[in-house]
Amino acid sequence: MTPYQQIWTIARLELGRVFFSKRSFWVYILAIFPSIIFLGHALEAGLKKRNWSADRVTSAATLNQVQTGMTDDQVLALAGKPISDVTRKRRIRRDDEDPDAEKQPEVRRYVMYFDGKKRVDLRFEDGKLVARNTHELMNFEDDRRVYATMFQFFYLRLGIFFGCLGIFINLFRGEMLDRSLHFWFLAPVKREVLLLGKYLAGLIAASLIFGTGALLSFLAMALPHDPTEVAAFWQTIGPGHAFWYVAAAGLGCVGYGSVFLAAGLLLRNPILPAIVMLIWESINGFLPDVMQKLSVLHYLQSLCPVPVPLPNDMPAVLKMLLAPAAPSSIPVAVLGLLAVTALVLFAAMQSVKRLEINYGTE
Amino acid sequence: MSAPEIVFDNVSKFYGEVLGVNRVDLHIPPGITSLVGPNGSGKTTLMNLMTGLIHPNAGVIQVRGISPYAPEKLMRILGYATQYDAGPRGATGYEFVHTGLVLFGFPKAECERRAWQAIERVGLTAAAKRKVAGYSKGMRQRIRLAQAIAHDPEVLILDEPLNGLDPLVRAETIALFRDYAAGGRHVILSSHVLQEVDVFSDQVILIANGMIVAEGQIKSVREEIHEHPSQFLLHCRDASRVASLLFAEPHISEIKLAPEGAGLLVLTRNREAFAAALERIALSGIDIDGVIPTDENVDALYEYLIGGGK
Repeated sequence: MTPYQQIWTIARLELGRVFFSKRSFWVYILAIFPSIIFLGHALEAGLKKRNWSADRVTSAATLNQVQTGMTDDQVLALAGKPISDVTRKRRIRRDDEDPDAEKQPEVRRYVMYFDGKKRVDLRFEDGKLVARNTHELMNFEDDRRVYATMFQFFYLRLGIFFGCLGIFINLFRGEMLDRSLHFWFLAPVKREVLLLGKYLAGLIAASLIFGTGALLSFLAMALPHDPTEVAAFWQTIGPGHAFWYVAAAGLGCVGYGSVFLAAGLLLRNPILPAIVMLIWESINGFLPDVMQKLSVLHYLQSLCPVPVPLPNDMPAVLKMLLAPAAPSSIPVAVLGLLAVTALVLFAAMQSVKRLEINYGTE
Repeated sequence: MSAPEIVFDNVSKFYGEVLGVNRVDLHIPPGITSLVGPNGSGKTTLMNLMTGLIHPNAGVIQVRGISPYAPEKLMRILGYATQYDAGPRGATGYEFVHTGLVLFGFPKAECERRAWQAIERVGLTAAAKRKVAGYSKGMRQRIRLAQAIAHDPEVLILDEPLNGLDPLVRAETIALFRDYAAGGRHVILSSHVLQEVDVFSDQVILIANGMIVAEGQIKSVREEIHEHPSQFLLHCRDASRVASLLFAEPHISEIKLAPEGAGLLVLTRNREAFAAALERIALSGIDIDGVIPTDENVDALYEYLIGGGK
């Protein structure tokens, strides 16, 4: 039996335990959470559309004729019954010492129309239209940016991070707690081979769980939109975006998996490596270039196809924390991540050779 | 061809500041060797050191010429039944044994054949398809034994293997050890059941507080303990006369009448001189029906060596 066959055999034997471990059941919740959010968003938009369409749809051409300065009676006469109409009167308090109080309108009226795709919000003050805003019920462009934000800030930083913590740290530490690690140590395999077999099992499970989660949430984000728009997206950049999100999720498992596997060999308490790693990944933007290359998140963010939109007025410190300081090219990001992983796995191999079974005193 | 001994060369193991074993020098030949000692004496530590589950702080260990740091080689010739259940969660007895064999790289059919053979050998064929979690303590002992012997190792190490076994199964298991050791293999086990160890062991290693107190065949170990007199039971009709003759011998330290007139309990510091004295008494016409050594067992050795720690 070659070492490669042994690695595969160990991974095969471990897979069931990794997939169905009670300790890491919550990993599935992390993986499907974004899909649930986007499905919920699509469901909410669909319900709103159905309700508003049933209530009243005003043509876009009619709504385009509505101009600021028109009175509420004129607008209602032109556009007909709105889907929502709320009036608020200003409260006048005797002890009101606000010098500007007299300048504020007595009555505010908020009226909403729906043209079948967009919602038009109109704001009247003392009977005159002063503001008009249009919102698309489902905006593909916006949703893709929301997805990018969710993917980088939740999925990579928290979902995959803590998911890998749950899966990989238990590969050795969990077996020590279950008093079953000696089963592997008594097999005729090198410890390094055992480590790689277990890592492969964790990697297959984590990649499948989080890769599928990324793809499902991407589909949940994209599919509820206008079919023409979605078809055009899939014929152009869509497959590339889906691929890189799934690849970033998979490579996230590669990187974080190696780190937490090594941590499981060295430390008893999984909270410590999680906190240290989380801090390291968070402050990475402040570190010199060389140090940034030792971060998993740095490479993963470089792989994401859509940059996260950060508001211009965001404080510089916060911007530095949230955005990669100098994104690497895709080949550099992939190779860099694999190099970091190889380095960590090499250190883990040295550690596992010295690892001892010590469930307690005899 | 691997060297046929298990060698500990000045091996020490500490768990932090707690002593595991200290400066152990051992040469364990093939056959059944029992590690005997009270709880915490270092028996399991010795076994774990042999199998590479823990590593020594000092010294070198060789198991038939193989270092415990090379599990890929060592585990091909070694089977270890620990005190813990280990294996896939929810596995049946058959799966428990079979899974271990898969890692040896045997073909599928060979894995199945060996698994069934080992299970049959420990008498668990009927229960093989039941989950290990539902096994009794004795059945778990036996399935662990099956897993340890399934790849037919040259060295079989068993931690407290007789715990929880009923008398019949215990006898069968001991027979299996004897059978296994008869082929020039090592069978090393730890036990608190001193009488059983005494009966079937080829050699014993007495251990206390992490140190080897004595090692070797029970009889030869006993002979090395010069500071303690040997004890014999003499079956004879004229006990008082024999006693008076023996009292004249300088090597005799104590003589007592055995209970219920069974003869005399004699303590001597020189076994050869005692044998010569008995020969002289017999030649003088006094009948001596039998001479039985009463302290050539592990209990007695243990009592002498580590002060009744059984």
